[in-house]
Amino acid sequence: MLQYTIRRLIGMIPIIFLISVVVFSLAKAMPGDALSGKIDPLNSDPAYIEEMREKMGLNDPIHVQYVRWMSGVVKGDFGDSFVHKREVMELVGDRLPNTIILGVSALLITYCLAFLMGRFSGRYAYSMGDYLISGFNYLALAIPSFVAALVAIYIFSINLGWVPATGSIGSGVEPGTIDYFLSKAKHTILPALVLGSLATASYTQFLRNDMIESSRKDYVRTARAKGTKESTIYNKHILRNSIIPIVTLLGFDIASIFGGAIITETIFTYPGIGYLFVESVNARDYSVMMAIAMMLTVLTLVGNLIADLLYGLVDPRIRLS
Amino acid sequence: MKKSAFWLVSVMLFMSLFLAACSKETANEEPAEGDKPAGEVKEGGTVTFGYTQPFKGVLSYAYYEGEDDVNALQFMHEALIKTGDDLTPQPNLATWELSEDHMKLTFKLKEGVKWHDGEELTVEDMEYAWYLIADPTYEGARFANVAMIKGAQEYHDGAADTIEGIKVIDDYTIEVTVTEPSVNLLDNIWVYPEPKHYYGDISSKELPDSEQIRKNPIGVGPFKVKNIVAGEMIEFERFDDYWQGPAKLDGVVYKIIDGSLAQGLIQNGEVDVIEAPKDQWAAIKELPNVNAVEADAMSYSYIGFDWGHYDTEKGVVVSDNQKFQNKALRHAMAHAIDRQAFIDGFANGLGKPLNTPFPSVSWAKIDDSEINGYEFDVEKAKELLDEAGYKDVDGDGFVEDPEGKPFTVNFDAMAGAETSEARAQFIIQSWQAIGLNAKLNGGSLKDFNLFYDTIEADDPSVETFMGAWGLAADPDPAGIWLSTDKWNMWRWYSEESDELIKKGVTFPEDESMDITEHRQQYYDEWQKLVNEELPIIFFEQRIDPWAINKRVQNVKVTPFGTDDFHLWAVTE
Repeated sequence: MLQYTIRRLIGMIPIIFLISVVVFSLAKAMPGDALSGKIDPLNSDPAYIEEMREKMGLNDPIHVQYVRWMSGVVKGDFGDSFVHKREVMELVGDRLPNTIILGVSALLITYCLAFLMGRFSGRYAYSMGDYLISGFNYLALAIPSFVAALVAIYIFSINLGWVPATGSIGSGVEPGTIDYFLSKAKHTILPALVLGSLATASYTQFLRNDMIESSRKDYVRTARAKGTKESTIYNKHILRNSIIPIVTLLGFDIASIFGGAIITETIFTYPGIGYLFVESVNARDYSVMMAIAMMLTVLTLVGNLIADLLYGLVDPRIRLS
Repeated sequence: MKKSAFWLVSVMLFMSLFLAACSKETANEEPAEGDKPAGEVKEGGTVTFGYTQPFKGVLSYAYYEGEDDVNALQFMHEALIKTGDDLTPQPNLATWELSEDHMKLTFKLKEGVKWHDGEELTVEDMEYAWYLIADPTYEGARFANVAMIKGAQEYHDGAADTIEGIKVIDDYTIEVTVTEPSVNLLDNIWVYPEPKHYYGDISSKELPDSEQIRKNPIGVGPFKVKNIVAGEMIEFERFDDYWQGPAKLDGVVYKIIDGSLAQGLIQNGEVDVIEAPKDQWAAIKELPNVNAVEADAMSYSYIGFDWGHYDTEKGVVVSDNQKFQNKALRHAMAHAIDRQAFIDGFANGLGKPLNTPFPSVSWAKIDDSEINGYEFDVEKAKELLDEAGYKDVDGDGFVEDPEGKPFTVNFDAMAGAETSEARAQFIIQSWQAIGLNAKLNGGSLKDFNLFYDTIEADDPSVETFMGAWGLAADPDPAGIWLSTDKWNMWRWYSEESDELIKKGVTFPEDESMDITEHRQQYYDEWQKLVNEELPIIFFEQRIDPWAINKRVQNVKVTPFGTDDFHLWAVTE
């Protein structure tokens, strides 16, 4: 397995290289740069814009720019953000905790809901409850997240006033106190709920179908024949087997936890990676945009590897070599 | 199948009940809020100031770039002089004196002004700010505001160790020598001091990323920073040693929100003061808990004709495009557009047609009776076209140019707002109505970056385009209107205009004459010129809508935003 892992890791290098070329060219293909937005006689002048373009090397040939960027990236230096006037890594590091909190809570919500719904649907397949659940799931799949976010804010924040509509923390709380954590939780719950409950469809249906399939297997018939209680059959024998493939999905979720939720974060003004990403695209803040894209690339590749490894661990029939 | 259809119906029924319940609730809530009587002003309290773009957190006037950061800075720092209601400079932290030959400017600082850390403000802090900005490693955009100080350019180029023109006389007096006399020196020179004792030895290049600016910035304003949550919120608390006496409020929270939620957050009081999104204004101004304030802004939009290109080597515009040289054609195209209908339809009435590049709040604005108003008149527009020789020769419904060749007009506009597409169609259809074959350039709108990239590069497909400018308090049109200006986006070359603009910043020969009057006469002449020549169609001046919660008192709204922060107060 170690050998397999190493081989996979080496195989990633050319992929990362190719993706870096794509990310860089796409960034450069966008019209404008970080200085286009500076056309404003109140705050700058053409001479300054020209001077800064020269200073930042935006006038150099494209391959020179790429080599300069890439040689920094290899050393873990993604350069400075022009818009934020600080190092990209610091900036991303600032936003990561928020995104991880949101990502993990959303994932937990997804897993819990999917587990409960999937278990019910699998056991009582083709019942009314099953149809209701799949109805909900497909509805959630179909609703765009910005619509769900706005409706949720309108109901829970503006009309009911239960939770704040924007931000990741309330005003006037000291870091480290109980109030701080409560405020954090209060601000995270709504975006997490929106994110989490919209993503349940695939997990639920996955679990449901696997349970239905398992329930037709011979060992289940044997158990029934022995007179085992129906609830024991489902909760002990079928569920355990069916949950295995779900666990492997965790690997694929890693990138989504760190990548943040672009639309949801923006609407909730929740300062995470997704929000930062949109902001940088709009401002043509290349260094930030490319750094986030590269980070997600690596995480997706690593996530895939982890998923494969987990698969080998939980299912002895699969040999990784 | 039957079963699932039943479920679908019941799910939908359930949903509609749910939604109905929601809407009922809002209907009940609104009047209840409106009945609240305005209470007495109380001591303390907190006000939330909203904004719809995340802030970068560069909390220093010398380095900040966007409105997002200056919205926070305005609560915590002030300048030596400020812009008065008549848009002329007024004393603030300092008074000034200008020598007879207009070459020496002396600032006299108020004594006892304190920084938030308790140190006293001295002229060294002002000197320090000029040095920071003139520093060779400075990467901000403010050098133009110190370049007029004698020796600043040399220092900036690394040729001198000090700036020759700055002389500290004592702790409260500083004298600046400028390179040449200028009527708008006080509007242009940098007047925001920086805390020298606090920044220490950090270089000008590293300052914007320092803790002193990002995490614990200080100023001399009525509020000091208590807590910064990056990109999301800044909490301010009252600064008790503020030089005009402590503020009435306990604190201010600067909070970033998503624009689409503005109406709801104003309604439920999560945001107290905000420049409201224009597209929601119709609903927001009707909210029972809102004081709706509309303020004339220092900005205008225009439709530019493409006159030619910018000669980068010579640094001057060349008006070599023959298409729009005919004045009658330009006039006709202006008369074709019902600007008031455009403003009412797309901007909730937040704007006024204007006919010169000075909005009505500017002191230099010419009286409307002296210039052409280009009122909406389709018949007149058609007549003008006809007289100029633009006639429909081949009977396709569109006019041909005087030589009988097909005549088309490309129009460019920026995408972004929901109504962008409709706005562009409005203009195009207005021109089509007078017989011009107008169409959207390339069939679609351009995003901000692409728009300016295309126009700045003098792309031949660009013929007419809709843009906008924000203006400073001083009316000097240089920077946009001179034939040497790169931002003369429409590439209009006129020696007469250049001469008038340059005369507008001279001192009167007759010493006794008022400088403003002297400038006014040239600006009147210049406005008549551009109004008649119409190198661009002046479109509308903007009105900024401010939503202020009724519980917040004494908020002063100016063409540049809000003011008088130390007087803000809340009622119970």
